Amino acid sequence: MSRGALCTGALAITFLCAAGNAGAQTDSLSGRAWLQKAAEATHSLSYTGTFVYQHDGRSETSRVTRLASAAGDVERLEVLDGEAREIVRSKDGVRCYLPASRTLKVDHHAAVRSFPAMLPAQLDDLLRYYKVRLGATDRVAGRSCQTVMLEPIDHYRYGYELCADRATGMLLRSVTLNETNAPVEQFTFTHLEVGDVRPEAVQPQHATRTWRVEESSVKPTNLEAEGWRVDADLPGFHKIVEVVRELRQRQPVGQLVYSDGLAAVSVFIEPANGRRETAHRGAASVGGVNIFVREVDDHIVTVVGEAPAVSVRRIADHVRYERPK
Amino acid sequence: MRPKISAFVDGELERQELAEVIEAVERDETARETWHLYHLIADALHDTALRAPGFSARVAQALAAEPTVLAPGRLPAERARWVALSAAASVAAVTLVGWLAFAPTPEQRPDRLPGVPVASAPQAGSVQATSTPAISPAAQPAVAMQREPTVPPAMPVSAETASDYLFAHQEFSPGMSIQGMAPYVRTVSSTVSQGLRR
Repeated sequence: MSRGALCTGALAITFLCAAGNAGAQTDSLSGRAWLQKAAEATHSLSYTGTFVYQHDGRSETSRVTRLASAAGDVERLEVLDGEAREIVRSKDGVRCYLPASRTLKVDHHAAVRSFPAMLPAQLDDLLRYYKVRLGATDRVAGRSCQTVMLEPIDHYRYGYELCADRATGMLLRSVTLNETNAPVEQFTFTHLEVGDVRPEAVQPQHATRTWRVEESSVKPTNLEAEGWRVDADLPGFHKIVEVVRELRQRQPVGQLVYSDGLAAVSVFIEPANGRRETAHRGAASVGGVNIFVREVDDHIVTVVGEAPAVSVRRIADHVRYERPK
Repeated sequence: MRPKISAFVDGELERQELAEVIEAVERDETARETWHLYHLIADALHDTALRAPGFSARVAQALAAEPTVLAPGRLPAERARWVALSAAASVAAVTLVGWLAFAPTPEQRPDRLPGVPVASAPQAGSVQATSTPAISPAAQPAVAMQREPTVPPAMPVSAETASDYLFAHQEFSPGMSIQGMAPYVRTVSSTVSQGLRR
């Protein structure tokens, strides 16, 4: 069969499928377009939904509400099981309400903005390290959704099995997969309503008088000029953020963030002063997040990221200090 | 401004007013004093730890007088002490901060694992030999080739501290531009802290 005949055949099949679905536009979308659609939905829609977070044999239910408005978007996440912990995110920063310890953590965004919508260029970058493939149509939270697989090109990043709402593009399910394709964590909506969110729905429920307030802000810095090097040489991971911040109102902590466009790993560097009472190294993992701690030149280096242990550890092991000349 | 600051301390302000008060407090010395006074009153009323007025100013002064904190000082001559401490702390830490099972991936090779200590509490006596900060893979092939010790390494990060780092990390994670805010739940999840204490 000639190439031309093949193409014609493929076109005919595409046409038949499209016709079979009564002209649903989304049928012709590529995996890449689905990702773009999901990113746009996440960034632009108002919605409220309930989702379950599963990891390490545990699960917890939360509600997430997003109000898109001209005055600035506000998002609120509220844990529904146990203590009523909340996070409210807006253009002013992130506020985290912890009723058990009566603590309000406030993280002001300063000159450094966190991530807005995913730009097409970012998506192109990301797709150099993940193969995107369309899977079957599925059904999650009573809504029809399109499975999109993100298969990593190497073992330095996790794979993802996503299911995007066919109507809006919202991700209804996101499963993080390790190198043996076993899930390490999963977010699944059990209910989602898009549109029509009242402003009260994104207001925190806690009156925080008498609470301890831990404020922190970030400002840009140049840790390299101070002598810090991270030459982990992990394919695709490049530095996207370099700031100094307070953490729990202690001394300033340097933070470097490396990302391949999807996964991110933060390197925190702080003086070891006064924290000599514990062993300054170790490893932890929870869900898709790995944490490594070690001491470098009288500093504690804590590396945290939603990447496989091998990557987080590699970055941690390549943090070094060179006294500036 | 005073009534507004009072309302702020009581957690009763609307978003716009919040920003206004924060700005005023940043800008204006008197507002800042009022702010501290009201917090002091609130603390006294609610029996939380008292802080003297001017506390923040004094801390700020002390900090300003410090040299740059992020650049390391001279190399510590107290490595040996630190190793001994960490060995002792590893044993003590079992009940205090908990342990974490960490399963290595099979393809981790020694050359990918420079400097990762294989310290484990029951072998406290041998820590001296194996836990110098940068283990050279060549010098320690037998140890490095092994899979992770069955006793997991000490976890110096408490669940609370881990959630602080996660909170600071999460806002910069580009995954959120596709996944939305859901991954933020990790920073407040009780199952995460339970997982960390495992």
